Amino acid sequence: MVRTAGAANRLDSIVPTPPRTLWELFLGFLSIGARSFGGVLPAAHTIMVEKRRWLTPADFVETCALCQILPGPNIGNASIVLGRRWFGISGAVVAFLGLFALPYLWVLTLAMLYMHWGAHPSVSAVVTGAGAAGAGLFIATAVKLGRPIAGKPGALALIAGCFVLVAIARMSLVIVMPIALTVGILFSARGRL
Amino acid sequence: MILVQLGLYFALLSLLTFGGLGPVIPEMQRYIVDVKGWMTPGDFMQLFAVAQTVPGPNVLVTSLIGYRVAGVPGSIVALLALCLPTAAIAWAVSGLRERFRESPWRGVIQRALAPLLVGLMFAAGYTIATPHAPDWRLWLIALGTAAGMLTTRVNPVWLLAGGAVLGGILL
Repeated sequence: MVRTAGAANRLDSIVPTPPRTLWELFLGFLSIGARSFGGVLPAAHTIMVEKRRWLTPADFVETCALCQILPGPNIGNASIVLGRRWFGISGAVVAFLGLFALPYLWVLTLAMLYMHWGAHPSVSAVVTGAGAAGAGLFIATAVKLGRPIAGKPGALALIAGCFVLVAIARMSLVIVMPIALTVGILFSARGRL
Repeated sequence: MILVQLGLYFALLSLLTFGGLGPVIPEMQRYIVDVKGWMTPGDFMQLFAVAQTVPGPNVLVTSLIGYRVAGVPGSIVALLALCLPTAAIAWAVSGLRERFRESPWRGVIQRALAPLLVGLMFAAGYTIATPHAPDWRLWLIALGTAAGMLTTRVNPVWLLAGGAVLGGILL
């Protein structure tokens, strides 16, 4: 979400106009779901801040920061938080359904196609190649996120520990996550991360 | 019965999905392939690949897995189980935005989570690219894609397409 400071200030000075009806809320989240190739948050920013002006840029960033620290899909959390803020429980339900409606139908169609064609050897080879490329995208993301913290021994130990326990030893994340998070918070609270 | 197992498992998993679905991919694969034997590791990798072509939140891969395991009901149960527990948490804390902005815990937790998520993303890459025994062709595609992503500004969609073409040639 790269925005120039000038553009952000200009949008910040505009008084936001929250959605007036549940239908408007539904349509907004429907278009976020439909156009979010390559990342949901940029699409959410385009729709909610730039086009519909439901939120100021600062409000958007704060809502995202809260949702990122919670478990669960960030944008799914944001649909609940914002829907509730504007319309209570019906808003939360409507925003959530709007967000997932089109991607869900798409995924269901793909699932049916895959069941039909997936066993064909050349389809299987192409799909497996795309899967390996997807693995590469995870590795690239890990490298990008890891670079700023790679200078700290505590961070490196946590990175290596999580990798070995989960990928090599194949331990359950239900065990690894609470332990690693506890260690991480202890390190972090003492300024080691 | 399988729907109940699927639902309970994804509900538990949802509480561990910090930073998106990527970091919990190895755990999902462990349970669905190793523990339950609902599909082969190759199938899991292919479903993951198919899910990448879907717009929207990446949690939709759970719908594909649910569909494979238990049809349309499975796809709905898996998606809702993964989203509803965390939606309930989001609902509960959605009033805390103002207080949260000031809290020193925000920084502490974010710094604690960062190395965990990095380690788990590496684990996800390794797990997906190594469905059976290590295979140099899959690792070549994965590392080539990672290098492409890190050194160029090309849209990831083209890197995935490149991986698909290489897969068609090499595999």
